[in-house]
Amino acid sequence: MRSLLRSLLNSIGIREIHEAANGTAALEILREKPCDLVLSDLAMKPMDGIDFTRDVRQSPRSANPFLPVIMVTGHTERHKVEAARDAGVTEFIAKPVTAQSLFARIGEILERPRAFVRCETYFGPDRRRKAQEDYAGPWRRHGDHHDLQVT
Amino acid sequence: MKKAQVIPPDDYPQMVSKSDAAKMARALRSPETTARGAKVIQSHGQKLQLAVHDYVRELENAAGNLQLIFEKAHELRGFAETAGLRATGRIAGGLCRYFDDMERLGATPDKAVIALHVSAIGRAARAKDEAGRMNDTVVKELAALVAHKLAETKAALAV
Repeated sequence: MRSLLRSLLNSIGIREIHEAANGTAALEILREKPCDLVLSDLAMKPMDGIDFTRDVRQSPRSANPFLPVIMVTGHTERHKVEAARDAGVTEFIAKPVTAQSLFARIGEILERPRAFVRCETYFGPDRRRKAQEDYAGPWRRHGDHHDLQVT
Repeated sequence: MKKAQVIPPDDYPQMVSKSDAAKMARALRSPETTARGAKVIQSHGQKLQLAVHDYVRELENAAGNLQLIFEKAHELRGFAETAGLRATGRIAGGLCRYFDDMERLGATPDKAVIALHVSAIGRAARAKDEAGRMNDTVVKELAALVAHKLAETKAALAV
């Protein structure tokens, strides 16, 4: 799969690509080489994609906590997707991978980068994808117009 | 509880400028780029199929190890269709859904259902006419079996 993803990235002109067999190895690369984008599997050992993403977002040693992370996985169980989202994954691609799905996610990251949210329990891309016009609170973010606090 | 801080995209470093990003995103959406990508996937077909056969062997050798079967089935679900083995991917997908639904119900998956799926995955992956009608029928029959078993489990749990 890594070889396929490399070729797909090559086909859109991305030439400098680093590969890692798992999250631990990927973190080592990130500490030494600045990267613009990560494609990560979810199921890896010893460190899986969720722990890897959490480390990128939250570790004081992280080179770029805002790094876009696209998770490419065959695991689409709800709890796994939610865990990936809560770890700070930027985009999610359910396998089977198609060129269209991969390129669309990269395009989305480029064209519509997401705001980041920092709170006591989370740091990562804003998990609210859509504005709900009838949302009545609670208003938990600086910049929200209402003053209700979560208790 | 403190309110969350929102950091807008303009306040953290982006890969490229906004105008370049728009141009690149347009290029990524173009039919030519998609077609080029599809060709890349096609060119990896044989290599991917070899990898699928490795997963199938690991699945068949997992005998009774539910965790390993679960993991390999998920790998196959994702991988087989990309490799052009559509029926294999669909059967593996059915097995994954069965695992997921049984986990949601808090029940242990039926060994016979798993064994039937594993055997069907092996046969489909090795079939000359992988996407043929026979495999379509197998996919449908296994889906019906899973639906029946899930209904049976739900009924038993409701008693």
